[in-house]
Amino acid sequence: MKERNFLIKHSVKIEPNKVSLDGIDVLLSERYNTFLSDIYHEKRLAYPKFFKMDILCKVGFLATEILLEAENIERFVPRRDRSIIFCNKSSSVSTDLKFTHDILDLDNFYPKPSLFVYTLPNIVTGEIAIRNKYFGETNLFVMNDRDDNVISELVEHALMDEEINSVVGGWIDAESENDYEADLCIFEIKQ
Amino acid sequence: MELIEELKLKMIEALNLEDLKPEDIDNDAPLFGDEGIGLDSIDVLELIVLMERNYGIKISDSKTGKHIFSSVRTMADFVAENRTK
Repeated sequence: MKERNFLIKHSVKIEPNKVSLDGIDVLLSERYNTFLSDIYHEKRLAYPKFFKMDILCKVGFLATEILLEAENIERFVPRRDRSIIFCNKSSSVSTDLKFTHDILDLDNFYPKPSLFVYTLPNIVTGEIAIRNKYFGETNLFVMNDRDDNVISELVEHALMDEEINSVVGGWIDAESENDYEADLCIFEIKQ
Repeated sequence: MELIEELKLKMIEALNLEDLKPEDIDNDAPLFGDEGIGLDSIDVLELIVLMERNYGIKISDSKTGKHIFSSVRTMADFVAENRTK
């Protein structure tokens, strides 16, 4: 394994009222409660599974859809040279709390499998890898606070694998339904 | 409300099938696989919970479950015959 230089090909940022691509605002809204669904419809995406996802997966799914559309290369073809490396601080806490609330009533104890499945934060990387047929390493690291130096080091480490030529990676966090952020990039090896 | 329509509404709610209306679900169309409405393995678990919670029906045998969840009509037939609430 050796160090390889990389560049940022595209970047996307999603906040509760704004989407920006490569630093330029592309979508603004005051409709906080429906913003993610609004993005889905605005982008004319046809992926019904979106509505079953938890908040972290919805944010990750939409951010990568926008990012990969900007890349403008053929999608959904299997590739082993792309990895997914995400970092966050809230893990899957939003869904964990919902699930905990869901199972509190012992007289009406029907845990929802579709909720339980999202009580792991790295499900978001799996959703994106499955959607895009990526077979490289996928990881989600939980840290105390955002640290871009650590994120950069993790991306560098992933790119030391000579089979990997690019990484979809960065920061993605969802503390609650209305408090989330994705700040993701496509990192690519310099040719 | 007819049982089959009631089931469709409960399925849409339980499975978050936001883009579907009851009339979009064919009574006899397979629920799983490419020909159906594309439900997955987690959806099966959700349907099992739906049956128990709403109709008091416990399904533990996978062979029976496979038949019951063939279509909305097979689900409705099974509920009509076996419901306890």
